[in-house]
Amino acid sequence: MIRLHKPIASLIVASLLLGACAAPVAAPQAPAAPAATEPPAAPAATQAPAAPSGEVVKAEPGKAVKMVLLPKFLGIAVFDQANQGAQEAHKELGNPEKLEFLGPTPENSVAGQIEIVTTAATQGVNAVMLSNNAGDQIVPAVKKAVEAGTKVVTWDSPIPSAEGESVFVAQVDFNETGKVMADMALSILGADGGKFAVLSASPDAANQNAWIAAMKEALKDPKYAKLELLDVVYGNDQSEESYKQALALVDKYPDMELIMAPTTVGIAAAAKAMTDEGLCDKVKVSGLGLPAEMVEYTKSGCAPEFALWSFVDLGYLTYYLTYLLATNQIEAKEGVKFKAGRMGEYTITKDPTREKGLRVLMGPFTVYNKDNVDK
Amino acid sequence: MFHLPSALRRWETLLLAILAVVVLFNVTRSPFYLRIDNLVNVFELSIEKIIVALVMTFIIINGEIDLSVASVMGLAACVVARLHADGVAMPLAVLVALTVGLLCGAFNGFWIAYVGLPSLAVTLAGLIGYRGAARILLEDKSIGNFPEWFNALGQRPLVGPFPLALIVFFVMLIAAAIILQRTAFGRYVYVIGNNKEVARYAGIRVKQVKMRLFMASGLIAALAGVLLAARLGAVRGNTAEGFELDIITMVLLGGVSIFGGSGTLTGVALSILIILNLRNGMSLANITGNTQTGVIGALLILSVLVPNLVGRLRALRSRMRPATTGPTPQPAQEVEIS
Repeated sequence: MIRLHKPIASLIVASLLLGACAAPVAAPQAPAAPAATEPPAAPAATQAPAAPSGEVVKAEPGKAVKMVLLPKFLGIAVFDQANQGAQEAHKELGNPEKLEFLGPTPENSVAGQIEIVTTAATQGVNAVMLSNNAGDQIVPAVKKAVEAGTKVVTWDSPIPSAEGESVFVAQVDFNETGKVMADMALSILGADGGKFAVLSASPDAANQNAWIAAMKEALKDPKYAKLELLDVVYGNDQSEESYKQALALVDKYPDMELIMAPTTVGIAAAAKAMTDEGLCDKVKVSGLGLPAEMVEYTKSGCAPEFALWSFVDLGYLTYYLTYLLATNQIEAKEGVKFKAGRMGEYTITKDPTREKGLRVLMGPFTVYNKDNVDK
Repeated sequence: MFHLPSALRRWETLLLAILAVVVLFNVTRSPFYLRIDNLVNVFELSIEKIIVALVMTFIIINGEIDLSVASVMGLAACVVARLHADGVAMPLAVLVALTVGLLCGAFNGFWIAYVGLPSLAVTLAGLIGYRGAARILLEDKSIGNFPEWFNALGQRPLVGPFPLALIVFFVMLIAAAIILQRTAFGRYVYVIGNNKEVARYAGIRVKQVKMRLFMASGLIAALAGVLLAARLGAVRGNTAEGFELDIITMVLLGGVSIFGGSGTLTGVALSILIILNLRNGMSLANITGNTQTGVIGALLILSVLVPNLVGRLRALRSRMRPATTGPTPQPAQEVEIS
């Protein structure tokens, strides 16, 4: 008995343990999830350098500041793009230090982000640019880093309570996402309108839910009166599941003409499903997608239009802002204006989604079609 | 029987050598490594895991496994958060969370010790079930805003540069070493792990020992979960998710046999030091993500392979030795590895 059990038991245990070292199991959530706002405590004290208010500050290049770009986790295309943008700004500003791109693995995201922030503070890093995946659990580590003199700027996903965070660089206004989706639906279906369905990520993805709610709100406008939303289904940001859900929608709603997927995984899977089944003439696909993954479908007319913000630009803008803050050329205060290289002027404002937070709104969306998808 | 302890000693010597290499690497590579605050961070960033690793050592030596520890940690943290949000006084909330942990452990223990189900299956069910309960308690929310004293206990030094959890760990380490190596209960843990039947015929209360171990595991996991809540200052349904694998890794790398019956706390302590210092050193060298996971994974594979390989080689060698009473061996073709 025992002899029989041992090899089996050890196999199971070994495979369980190896699972710990294996590739990401969990479906990475699409970036950007504004979580519920929590009642915050005292904000971090701001320092007092910088230019008189109202003046647009232009970055003085060549200052040595150690900076870390910290994504939710490694191995996701959009975070690599953000790094590309940050590296571009890094070169432009001639910072003699190295810009580090450090991130945890998906299954160790929370503990990994805490560890990286803590280690950065120990090493005397001047600023950490964080796409927060740890909610408020990151706050103690961030506060300790701030005490040690490290500035923390968030991008893509903020710290809900805003504690310890200087500024959040928001990619787009979350309400605008809803309107952009409604506009694309109208543009694809034409003035006569038509019926469409939404293929989302998971039922509890905060960002997607906010966008869908915003779209429903936008649809109340008489301009969109001829658009009819049939259903919202979930592919859990898994390619295969999204693919099946897209085909199931076609079966369920024979008169459906459009699938709107506010997730980069969902839109690519839906476009592939329609292409594979030769349904593209009947059912179009739109939503939020990555140009690199959508080129084929946009050129073929299956997904004539989709939208996304540029993660390259998000990384670029975040770097400029953080560099200015870390070199004390500006301070994190409402109304401060600065110039972010090729992207132009931006202003630090109150964050309408978080009581104590400050934000810089990047915006706007880029709508991609066959003319600009491969640029 | 007599070569076993010496093999173990050799394993610990190997661990010590690895640790020396890791420390040397860290000292030479980063000027920040030896700073007191960093050395405290080395422990603090994984403190809850290493606390649970101590009790996991007992369980694995006993020939069992507890896969539910991380879910119990998460559940305890969620219970504290939920009760706090509902206006229950913090000390009472902590007490309830610890009780819940103890009950989870007792539940596991009952099925394993008294019904005789395999711990792998029972605690796998616990892993899923207790995590489910934790998620139901908090839904998709994050609960924080704990009282200042509670956060301070988790985040600020208590004695000198040491936070509470670190002190708890060292006290527990000493207690565990004494119980395992110096008491009758500790000896029972080994004997049962070696052979349950023999232990029963020798008059050891096998069921009682197993029950106590799983209850201790639940209670200590809950304590670790509460400490984690205090350190993070906020709790979500997925708090501590996946920690069980890191914890079991620490114990196995420490030379504890997954089949039970052998292993020492010294080995586990050394393995904890290796993993923690390796992580810290790699982080200081800006090596994160998959590379870090890969290095630790490789270390684990080695820890499972090497002892088995050594055992097989030894068996092979003794089979080929002509002086023994066995049948005449074939002419030795293989090269002897000494």
